[in-house]
Amino acid sequence: MEAPQYVAARVQGALAEDDRTHELGIRVDVRGDQLFLRGQVGCQERRTLIADVAAEAAPGLTIHNELSVVDIREPEEEETL
Amino acid sequence: MSLRIAAVGDVHLGADVGGRYRSHLTGIEEKADVLLLAGDLTRHGTLEEGEVVVQEFRDLPIPVVAVLGNHDHHSDKPAEIAAMLRDAGIMVLHDDSVVIDINGTRLGVVGGKGFGGGFAGKCASEFGEPEIKAFVNHTKRIADRWRVALKELEADKRVVLSHYSPVNDTLAGEPPEIYPFLGSYLLAEAIDAEGADLILHGHAHMGTEKGITSAGIRVRNVALPVLGRAYGVYCLNGEGGC
Ligand SMILES: [Fe+2]
Ligand SMILES: [Fe+2]
Repeated sequence: MEAPQYVAARVQGALAEDDRTHELGIRVDVRGDQLFLRGQVGCQERRTLIADVAAEAAPGLTIHNELSVVDIREPEEEETL
Repeated sequence: MSLRIAAVGDVHLGADVGGRYRSHLTGIEEKADVLLLAGDLTRHGTLEEGEVVVQEFRDLPIPVVAVLGNHDHHSDKPAEIAAMLRDAGIMVLHDDSVVIDINGTRLGVVGGKGFGGGFAGKCASEFGEPEIKAFVNHTKRIADRWRVALKELEADKRVVLSHYSPVNDTLAGEPPEIYPFLGSYLLAEAIDAEGADLILHGHAHMGTEKGITSAGIRVRNVALPVLGRAYGVYCLNGEGGC
């Protein structure tokens, strides 16, 4: 069986290099036959695409999509420097 | 006279999120005097995404200055994207400077993409294979150009706008193993030598907003996922405050 670290690294590489995603800041963890995706993405569509690309790069693993969609809040009070 | 600087990076726009960010820019002229964009404006660096960026940031009531990020280089079209932005009235820095008059105060902005290499004591050096030398040399050349641009800059307030980070403070939250890909101390060394009032950068999505250089220059990581708000506003104090 392939070591989980290599699987996670392959998924992370796929997320960075696949034209559908190009996401560099996603945390990928593999525990047994479970794969966990964590981090923040720009919209719901990207969140789904990332899980799709991860599933293709790690066939047979159960994907847990724990990514959250960045919610852009209104700007706050300025900081005086 | 004080200056209010709005800044954000890593908006990573594409057709799928087009128009969504723009809605947050309504009324920005009441909060800030200028908007600085710290790179990674696109996801893939295609011209189509460049067009989304243009539509999102064009015709704002305040001046907009941008640098590009690594994502904006991915399709090998950075010059074309920069030209599109400039045609829409957005200033784009490429290791050079611009001076903007804001109600009689001259704001000088120096910057560019920056690059990686790591931080003092834990960094790559120009030794060994040509690939490593080229990597380190790229950062050194950029730092040298910033140093010259800062030396020649004539302005009342000086801001450096980068994509990569010049310090490691603002990377806290990122895995330490990847720090060398997130920034370089050579950038901070150049800025510290010539002086600046504020440094803004993006790129480290999991980093921290606030940091400081060895010489005490304030650094702010304005990557959108770090801020969690549409943009940060930093007030460079003149007499009287903001
Ligand atoms: Fe980014
Ligand atoms: Fe980046």
